[in-house]
Amino acid sequence: MQPYGIQSMLKDGYRHLSGLDEAVIKNIEACKELSTITRTSLGPNGMNKMVINHLDKLFVTNDAGTIVNELEIQHPAAKILVLAAKAQQEEIGDGANLTISFAGELLQNAGALIRAGLHPSDIITGYNKAITKTVEILEQLVESGSETMDVRNKDEVVFRMRAAVASKQFGQEEIICSLVADACIQVCPKNPTNFNVDNVRVAKLLGGGLHNSCIVRGMVLKSDAVGSIKRMEKAKVAVFAGGVDTNATETKGTVLIHSAEQLENYAKTEEAKVEELIKAVAESGAKVIVSGGSVGEMALHFCERYKIMVLKISSKFELRRFCRTAGAVAHLKLSRPSPDDLGYVDSIAVEEIGGVTVTIARNEQGGNSISAVVLRGSTDSILDDLERAVDDGVNTYMAMCRDSRIVPGAAATEIELAQRLKEYANAETGLHSHAILKYAESFQFVPQTLADNAGLDAMEIIASLYTGHGSGNTKLGIDLEEGACKDVSETKVWDLFATKLFALKYASDAACTVLRVDQIIMAKQAGGPRRDLAAAAGAGAEED
Amino acid sequence: MSVRVLNPNAEVLNKTAALHMTINAAKGLQDVLKSNLGPKGTIKMLVGGSGDIKLTKDGNTLLKEMQIQNPTAIMIARTAVAQDDISGDGTTSTVIFIGELMKQSERCIDEGMHPRVLVDGFEIAKRATLQFLDNFKTPVVMGDEPDKEILKMVARTTLRTKLYEGLADQLTDIVVNSVLCIRKPEEGIDLFMVEIMHMRHKFDVDTRLVEGLVLDHGSRHPDMKRRAENCHILTCNVSLEYEKSEINAGFFYSNAEQREAMVTAERKSVDERVQKIIDLKNKVCAGNDNNFVIINQKGIDPPSLDLLAREGIIALRRAKRRNMERLVLACGGEAVNSVDELTPESLGWAGLVYEHVLGEEKYTFVEQVKNPNSCTILIKGPNDHTIAQIKDAVRDGLRSVKNTIEDECVVLGAGAFEVAARQHLLNEVKKTVQGRAQLGVEAFANALLVVPKTLAENAGLDTQDVIISLTSEHDKGNVVGLNIEDGEPIDPQLAGIFDNYSVKRQLINSGPVIASQLLLVDEVIRAGRNMRKPT
Repeated sequence: MQPYGIQSMLKDGYRHLSGLDEAVIKNIEACKELSTITRTSLGPNGMNKMVINHLDKLFVTNDAGTIVNELEIQHPAAKILVLAAKAQQEEIGDGANLTISFAGELLQNAGALIRAGLHPSDIITGYNKAITKTVEILEQLVESGSETMDVRNKDEVVFRMRAAVASKQFGQEEIICSLVADACIQVCPKNPTNFNVDNVRVAKLLGGGLHNSCIVRGMVLKSDAVGSIKRMEKAKVAVFAGGVDTNATETKGTVLIHSAEQLENYAKTEEAKVEELIKAVAESGAKVIVSGGSVGEMALHFCERYKIMVLKISSKFELRRFCRTAGAVAHLKLSRPSPDDLGYVDSIAVEEIGGVTVTIARNEQGGNSISAVVLRGSTDSILDDLERAVDDGVNTYMAMCRDSRIVPGAAATEIELAQRLKEYANAETGLHSHAILKYAESFQFVPQTLADNAGLDAMEIIASLYTGHGSGNTKLGIDLEEGACKDVSETKVWDLFATKLFALKYASDAACTVLRVDQIIMAKQAGGPRRDLAAAAGAGAEED
Repeated sequence: MSVRVLNPNAEVLNKTAALHMTINAAKGLQDVLKSNLGPKGTIKMLVGGSGDIKLTKDGNTLLKEMQIQNPTAIMIARTAVAQDDISGDGTTSTVIFIGELMKQSERCIDEGMHPRVLVDGFEIAKRATLQFLDNFKTPVVMGDEPDKEILKMVARTTLRTKLYEGLADQLTDIVVNSVLCIRKPEEGIDLFMVEIMHMRHKFDVDTRLVEGLVLDHGSRHPDMKRRAENCHILTCNVSLEYEKSEINAGFFYSNAEQREAMVTAERKSVDERVQKIIDLKNKVCAGNDNNFVIINQKGIDPPSLDLLAREGIIALRRAKRRNMERLVLACGGEAVNSVDELTPESLGWAGLVYEHVLGEEKYTFVEQVKNPNSCTILIKGPNDHTIAQIKDAVRDGLRSVKNTIEDECVVLGAGAFEVAARQHLLNEVKKTVQGRAQLGVEAFANALLVVPKTLAENAGLDTQDVIISLTSEHDKGNVVGLNIEDGEPIDPQLAGIFDNYSVKRQLINSGPVIASQLLLVDEVIRAGRNMRKPT
């Protein structure tokens, strides 16, 4: 007799989970697990994680985006959270941890409600109402006067960037913030909303310390010059995207030589041709040639002769950036460039920093559309982590260019939201008011985690925060250094409104999606031998 | 057994065993899809072989992705997929209707009835129901100006069964407007003229209708403008790159000059073509600050791009073929296949062309076009599964609007039709039928109730209560449907719940056919393989 039920209808290896217990609760558990991993990394005192990914690359970081990326989450529900974090990372570039942890907390509380007998659809209704209300409250909490800002004022930029950077590199935020702010302000276009994150480059050089880090107005290329000329001041630059060599035809050509004389002459005409081209470039005033492709031996020889410095940048994007720095227009083929197409750099020089040969192109005035942050650090993983902090800073800058509104940080906003949502929940009737209440309670995890991670007594802190907020001080936050509650205007911890808004919205979106699922149908794992099996087999072979 | 006719490995199920197998399979499939039905249905999560996630409420998607192996279930699934092909919706209803027919039949068969008799009854009931449907439907006049309200109601009914309410309501307007946009009098509606483009960006509620076109690629030259207003648009299918000759050609040269000459000669024909376009640009843009945009189906090589960029022309290469068609409809002008006889008349027009960059992806928006006959639904969502979910829903929504315009009628939804049809079958038709086929009619009538029943079940209501209150209202002569919020009867007309006529028609047509076929199976033979999974 054919077995009954869906399992019999599916292919081998398919798994089918359904119902509250099997699907919903299990999903919640999985998401909880994930959020416990990332939670301890929240905030300035967050712990670092050591993650070794499938390529055996080591990551030491407290950046949630990186952690979840490298963890290769398999569980489908947990994956929804990861996707939410990724969306946050792409949209704002910061706040991924808040997204995952908050979604995890929401789901954990939803689990409690389900066990108490509430139907998931009631919880979803409640959560949806809560997020709408949260957005409303959040808008009220915006610090007045922060709507407009001068994105070129370093103090104002640092002011807004501090909290974001501090949560990644606590204690070093002052140095990093000032570096990032300088770099960003420099490349900020006339219309700040067009700020492109890509214009702030990061060059990581091993050795030295963070204090040796600096900013270069221009570009830092991790390569050497091609020829023997290594330095050029106030030079005009010609950029050739296609390479500096003799022109080649699309059709295959063969040199036809009838006599020895011709053989000799052929080489000569070839030489003459290249010389003509290089001479044309040199006559146009260019002193530096940047090539996007190969540089021919013969061409190089003539370049040296005409005292032209030759650089090779093989990445197309890097070449485009160089064009922007120098204000040059790239030519496809080696030909005489028109004066308008030539770029200009103040100096271009090959230098050695910490044993690495780098070419630094500086452009103090004019252009100014690219700046590079040279980071120094003792190990690769420290450098990687510093880079992530800088990235967060740059992304925050971009976000503030679009929306400069800020809200109090250091858990002050969360407590205020929790408090006001609770009032809202009490005014609501129906089963979903429980869900709103739980949503409000979920905010509590932020101060709790911050306090926990800093080794403070969470209960005491939360209690005093609530009292403070109850008496009308909406800006009361945690001062982690002193372990007490303080007004954020004093501690200067401010978060961007946009970061918070998107993180909370993505988190509740993800949480609701997980709650809406009541059946999971999983296909058999596809493809290749599994890694752990292969590794085990390899280990076995060694033993033999 | 004296002589074995079959391969010893073959498995044979006969008589009752075969029948029970098919019935069980039908019921099993019904169980899976049941929870999908209606606005209160739940979402299924499908996890693919590579760990990719898909969330769906759409029966069709689910059946496609599930990879069903049971032979009976496959038959039902195919019917459901056919339903989707024809009417674009109603897959879940088809599956559960067939399942319910089988369930009702099982009861009769257990009492000793022959399947053949049931099948006869089904046939009579089917014909009567189709007739009833024709009387029951609400005609809608679709003149030059279709009634937007009714279209919206139909679209909303469909979309709400696929997505959550807030988003569904927002999509309703988008879907209706887009169909009306591409609708041309005297011609059938070609839904392909609505481009569905997605961007992984922001939230699902940021989905919008673009009157114009969105292309998922950008210009490939760094110096081209990112934003241009008042643009002439040249839609063309001309290769602007050097093409190697078919034959294996080579050439001999003996000095560098000759080679240089060859290099120029190679470029010449392409450059000439580019020059013709530039000439046209200069002709139409002379003396005003209009812009010129080329959208080419074939390639444009870097030297040509460079030439165009220097003239301030925006050039897009390798556009999709279907977009070329839509582009002409949206912007006007015509698609040209040769640059030899270019005239300003063949150019289209768009008020705004701009590029939007999202990480690595580039999108080009062609907006503010005159009298668009093509448009784009731009779906946004934070992640891929949200986008896929909206995409499926939009497709169904478009189909439902198209069906309404073509059917020129709608059917009251929320289970109203099913209850009414059942009362009609039991009270009127059954009496006119002679003999045991009556039982078949009765089984059919009861099976119809599965739709309101499931709706109620998914909403967490008491099924029995609901059915009783609905039928009693119908006995009083009121046509009512189910209010899934409180389980009370409502008038679907007032609530604005309408289903497509063609969906219902197809459902009633195909359901009994497949159920009859399955009932008449009395032997299942599978050669050489065990039908059960090795456990």
